[in-house]
Amino acid sequence: MPHPESVLLGLSKLNNILEVDPKARTARLQPGVTNLAISEAAAAHGLYYGPDPSSQIACSIGGNVAENSGGVHCLKYGLTVHNLLCVEMLTVEGERTTLGGGGLDSPGYDLMALVTGSEGLLGIVTEVTVKLLPCPEVARVVMAGFDSVRAAGDAVGAVIAAGIIPAGLEMMDALAIQAAEDFAQAGYPKEAQALLLCELDGTAEEVDQHVEAVTNIFNQHGASSLRVSSDDAERALLWKGRKSAFPAIGRLSADYYCMDGTIPRSQVSHVLEEISKLSAKYQLRCANVFHAGDGNLHPLIMFDSGDPQQLARAERFGADILELSVAVGGCITGEHGVGLEKLNQMPSQFSEAELHQFEDIKHAFDPALTLNPGKGIPILKRCQEYRALPRRHSHD
Amino acid sequence: MHVELHPRYSDNTEAKRAGELISACVHCGLCLATCPTYLDTGDERDSPRGRIYLLKQLLEEGEAGAVTRTHLDRCLSCRSCETACPSGMQYGKLADIGRGMLNIEAPRGPVERLFRFSLRQTLSRPALVAALLRTGQLFRPLLPPRLKRKIPLRQTPGAMPVSTQPRTMLALSGCVQSAATPLTHAAAARVLDRLGISLKIASEAGCCGAVNYHLGAHSDGLDNMRRNIDAWWPMIEAGAEAIISSATGCGSTLVEYGDLLQHDSVYAAKAKRVSALCRDIADVLVDEDLTLLNIERDIGRVAVHTPCSQQHALKQPDIVNTILRRAGFTLAKTRDDHLCCGSAGTYSILQRSRSERLRQRKLEALQVDNPALIVSANVGCQLHLDEESKIPVKHWIELLDPLTHQGH
Amino acid sequence: MTDALQQLAARVCAAKADATPLYVHGGNTKKHLLGRTCSVERTLDISKYRGISHYQPQELVISARAGTPISELESALAEQGQMLPFEPPRYAGQATIGGTLAGNLSGPGRPWLGSIRDSVLGVQLINGSGQILEFGGKVMKNVAGYDVSRLQAGALGTLGVICEVHLKVLPLPEASVTLARDTSPDEALALMTNYAGQPKPLTGACWVNGKLYLRLAGAASAVEHTAQIWGGDRVDGAIWTQLQDMTHSFFTPSAELWRLATTPTAPCSDQADQCIDWGGSQRWLRTPPASIPQGAHLNLFSGGDRQTEVRGKLDQVQQTLQLRLKKAFDPAGILNPGRLYSWM
Repeated sequence: MPHPESVLLGLSKLNNILEVDPKARTARLQPGVTNLAISEAAAAHGLYYGPDPSSQIACSIGGNVAENSGGVHCLKYGLTVHNLLCVEMLTVEGERTTLGGGGLDSPGYDLMALVTGSEGLLGIVTEVTVKLLPCPEVARVVMAGFDSVRAAGDAVGAVIAAGIIPAGLEMMDALAIQAAEDFAQAGYPKEAQALLLCELDGTAEEVDQHVEAVTNIFNQHGASSLRVSSDDAERALLWKGRKSAFPAIGRLSADYYCMDGTIPRSQVSHVLEEISKLSAKYQLRCANVFHAGDGNLHPLIMFDSGDPQQLARAERFGADILELSVAVGGCITGEHGVGLEKLNQMPSQFSEAELHQFEDIKHAFDPALTLNPGKGIPILKRCQEYRALPRRHSHD
Repeated sequence: MHVELHPRYSDNTEAKRAGELISACVHCGLCLATCPTYLDTGDERDSPRGRIYLLKQLLEEGEAGAVTRTHLDRCLSCRSCETACPSGMQYGKLADIGRGMLNIEAPRGPVERLFRFSLRQTLSRPALVAALLRTGQLFRPLLPPRLKRKIPLRQTPGAMPVSTQPRTMLALSGCVQSAATPLTHAAAARVLDRLGISLKIASEAGCCGAVNYHLGAHSDGLDNMRRNIDAWWPMIEAGAEAIISSATGCGSTLVEYGDLLQHDSVYAAKAKRVSALCRDIADVLVDEDLTLLNIERDIGRVAVHTPCSQQHALKQPDIVNTILRRAGFTLAKTRDDHLCCGSAGTYSILQRSRSERLRQRKLEALQVDNPALIVSANVGCQLHLDEESKIPVKHWIELLDPLTHQGH
Repeated sequence: MTDALQQLAARVCAAKADATPLYVHGGNTKKHLLGRTCSVERTLDISKYRGISHYQPQELVISARAGTPISELESALAEQGQMLPFEPPRYAGQATIGGTLAGNLSGPGRPWLGSIRDSVLGVQLINGSGQILEFGGKVMKNVAGYDVSRLQAGALGTLGVICEVHLKVLPLPEASVTLARDTSPDEALALMTNYAGQPKPLTGACWVNGKLYLRLAGAASAVEHTAQIWGGDRVDGAIWTQLQDMTHSFFTPSAELWRLATTPTAPCSDQADQCIDWGGSQRWLRTPPASIPQGAHLNLFSGGDRQTEVRGKLDQVQQTLQLRLKKAFDPAGILNPGRLYSWM
């Protein structure tokens, strides 16, 4: 939530697509344009915008810049920061400046990269120019059910080891499969313990070649069910379940607490086993959705906010998961940002000197700490209090 | 999402029900992109999520003002948000409860109250609608163009089938439909006659109750429903196998009788039975072989406008397309099919300018592929679109009616 | 934490204490490239701080100390069938990963495979106060805190001493084909834009000495099929290595070399001596163009007067921000002063 005494600056009405340049393959947008609207506007030219967060029908490009959003296709096509050319920003002093430019390199420091993912703490983004990609000739999804998370995790590793970079590679566990299937009716195998969705795109020949390879790998790793999309409607349906998996958890529980740690891909079985132990410890169910391609794990802790004890347990459960992510060599947030919720976990990833450096960067842009006060970077006093609590700290 | 009910609602069943409904919402915001009013104003409070929060506030603080009412008034009740909602939020039910509560908590001024009262009283009475419409049609040639367009031309329904078929179904004739587009019912009767089904009307039945209920006049709405149940009951007991609606707006209300009257000890069971028997005319035809109908199929591309009541309430987004395609018609491409045309019951009267903007947008979306005509499955949408459309707007059943092609 | 790292940090602390600036370098291959000449006497050589510290092929992640030569990284990766996607110049085997990040240098695949800016996942850094800091990590996605790792790309070592770099790597393409044909530069630009708009496995498009070269790389089936459709002479891929390492005859003269970063649709220069790379986004010129297209960046890459400004002018707002950012990392201004801009 915003600071109670702050002014809320809403940019959602700045929702015009200012220009689509099919030759240069760029689009110039106001920050309130939704992610999906960019691809819809580009479609007429056979182009699309790469990053596709699951909330793409509603999330805006301004928000994508603020969070450096990824999506199911980011292993191959990159995050927001890889798909930007230019960002127009208002500084806290109200002065307008353009970061990035028409070319791929810009003079001076790469402030566009710094502002991307900065959670609105450094300036107010008022215009964004993105790169567009040619729509692939063909895209197909291979869906496979597995009897264990471990088998699915190994299959993911094997795909990468085979030198294939899928356009998307997603994993869901049993609870996530159940919730998503209830809504989307996509035909997910409800008895499976883990589901993989692997999208392969490119030229027709390339996709045939890769679909065959991936299908073989999944079979070798003991897939209990296998399905390959035969047309775009079926592909969209298979993704619909995955893309609505978070809110579909609302069918199983009044509330959920979504975590966002990133871990080395090879650690997924271990981490999911640990989460399952924590689930027993805190007596709260937890569904898991995993961007298997890039290691971004989204545990969805189910609780009822009407019960204050459950809320408190959910928060402790979440904190444990984030610290576990750091302990296995990952980070506390892959794409959702720190905001207020993960401030307490920042010291588990960063030393005091590092947090200090962040503070100095903030001061360079916003000396009076006017923008999004209290978010993103913890004040050091808070860290010291937090560190005083007996907790693991992995930083060496 | 948890709602902590204000103590003054602790015994209020509607408020409790609203609180339960809200618990399904996980405030993800996916509904925003599919909400026509949010797309129009860009104001969170004109989105489903915003309205849910406003109602949560009402339930928790025990009071609400005109602002809350205004944003709820702007809701079309199209329920596009329900189709989009992965967590299964029943927004339409919440909005209805909210409207009822706001009529008490944030009462309107006397002029507005009187206007809404008259509107409800008029529209829910088929005879009155018919009389007014006839008068309008009589003076139509004398009216200025803007008003003229508001009054549909008089339709000639054509001869009704006279034979008695082995199967019988009941028809909800509807209030506006029976007066403004009598051809729809007649065409439905003729098509069903070919398929061996007699369509009967119970003369005592009237408005389905939607007009009253969706304007927050719950008890008047429920009275409409009880009266219909009484009118149909003898025929149901006599073996009518279904109650057929050829206006999806009314049909989507009929299927809710069971739910809305569940606490009525006298009517609960009957209401449940009525809802179970209710089917849209499309439901009856979707499995029939329509290639044998002697009809003209070479009429150019047909743009199908799927009413919100059909796609979001009855959850049958493709049924009319399927029927017409199988019957041999060529369909036109359309876009933004999920968005409301702005008719939405009384919305086109109560929120005129917004409704007109939505209509403009819808007409453009329906005509991207240069269709020869537009068809709909609901009288409200049909009349609303026809008012401004450059190409004819019909009920889709007319395309299957052999008589229609002979000069109607 | 290793002694070597502590010693580097101690050198920075000492420099700060004496208010004596440092020229930070690795293989010393870019001393006269990209930025202004940094004429300070005390140097900090990190070339001995080298070696691959972590490599897990299945994670597509490699970590190396800043002094590690690019060629060493490339051979380790090649053994596992992988590569550095950004194809950095190796400058006779002397270029280091730290210097490559500082210069944000990349090869001909930039528009498709990114530069090191796009591949960097994390850095270990000594800031101007001598503190050893770590940002980012060894995972693909990380938005905890500001993206300090990516900020190092192109900062020419002015924000900190880069000590260790974590990078995303990619599998080597299964197949690669180079197509060549004779064209005018205008024609080449039009063709590049046209081809880049098609969903084909294009990873390189350049024009030099009257010839357009296209590189197709990826799945063998796709590469072969596309090569057949597009046509042209099949030649060996030497041109790409020559562009990557800047060993092509175009780069041989030591005269002024200007680099224009622009949109691929920007009009072609009428200069006879030019090289177009990155599918039209990078134009190498021997004299500065008469006018600079909107949003483009012109850099005196090498040669010429390197005492004056060699990079594009910043507007007043950005100049202020950049200076404040420099101070946030290096309050005493001891790291490569004046290398990027005279005022920084």
